[in-house]
Amino acid sequence: MSDPVSTQDPIPAASCVLITGGTKGLGLELVRDTLQRGAKVATFSRKLTPEIEQLQQEYDGRLFAAPVDINDQDGVKRFFKDASAVLGPIDSLVNNAAMGQDSMHLHTSPEQIARIVQTNLTAPLVLTRAFIRHAMAKTGRGRIVMITSVCAQRGYSGLVTYAATKGGLDAAMRTLAREMHGRFLVNSVAPGFFASDMSSVLGTEQLSTIARRTPSGRMVTPANIAPVVRSLLFDDTNLNGQVITIDGGSSI
Amino acid sequence: MSGLSRDHVRTMMGEVLAAQGKQLPADDSTRLDGIGFRSLDFSELALRVEDELDTELNFDAPELRSVETVGDVLDFIDQLQPTA
Ligand SMILES: NC(=O)c1ccc[n+]([C@@H]2O[C@H](COP(=O)([O-])OP(=O)(O)OC[C@H]3O[C@@H](n4cnc5c(N)ncnc54)[C@H](OP(=O)(O)O)[C@@H]3O)[C@@H](O)[C@H]2O)c1
Repeated sequence: MSDPVSTQDPIPAASCVLITGGTKGLGLELVRDTLQRGAKVATFSRKLTPEIEQLQQEYDGRLFAAPVDINDQDGVKRFFKDASAVLGPIDSLVNNAAMGQDSMHLHTSPEQIARIVQTNLTAPLVLTRAFIRHAMAKTGRGRIVMITSVCAQRGYSGLVTYAATKGGLDAAMRTLAREMHGRFLVNSVAPGFFASDMSSVLGTEQLSTIARRTPSGRMVTPANIAPVVRSLLFDDTNLNGQVITIDGGSSI
Repeated sequence: MSGLSRDHVRTMMGEVLAAQGKQLPADDSTRLDGIGFRSLDFSELALRVEDELDTELNFDAPELRSVETVGDVLDFIDQLQPTA
């Protein structure tokens, strides 16, 4: 069977983006940036924040936000329906929501390992499947960005299961980029440590050590990451199946 | 289930150090960096305590960061143990 879309136009820029976990931290920065770029945004997390409610007022009709746990498959399905009823078809996805870890593997309970794998790997894979099914049927083509981590490439003590989930997403990203040939651009953005609720377990001493050891001389901020995600969502770069590491050079 | 006494845990801590040819001083205010008791030595001690109690004592790394002296180690193990 000949594929009618295999050799022609570039995959169009995102017009309606689902950004998971867009209520604080990096996700909130990405929601702001994507709205400013003119696209519509759907986002969810377990609890909405005053910041996202404020954006909902500012961008009336262009931002859909609701409280959903990514591990609640029915809730996620409902979210797709509700969000696309308000915004129209969703053509792009940023898998950002995740939970952190700071415990040595030998002192992490099997239940906690299962929780991290479920939230950071299984749930994003199930959600990505739901997104592709939605976007294939509605728009035919789109873009996917996985927010992973430098921890998937370098060893950091206390992050064994977290690193495994981020490495798993990077591997899935490459396979998906090949599988969705000509239909979806799929890439990962792998940040180094930045200040957020997730990294708040790091003491000020550890944060200043990270900054000191970073060749660029400063830690990464969400504002450094947003332009790279923006480019993957909107520009015609033909980047596909890649992990882009943003860590001020600390992993070189 | 009852936990291990502070003295018992202190003895076990001495055994972890002795296996490396090091000694545990009597003074609880001795700093861990001074006697070469590192975080994996703490893990070994916690695992020995788990063995005796026949239960897991899981914990996050940040909780360990304030542990600086021999007394801190004994306090930490004490609060990790299930109460009777
Ligand atoms: N911070 C770092 O140093 C760092 C470094 C490298 C990579 N990253 C990655 O960057 C991304 C953003 O991290 P961040 O530091 O901005 O984290 P954050 O401030 O903790 O934000 C995480 C977001 O995900 C949501 N979330 C968490 N669990 C969820 C669940 N079960 N269901 C739905 N939403 C959930 C949170 O909202 P609720 O809590 O209300 O659900 C929040 O909106 C993550 O993928 C993280 O792994 C972070």
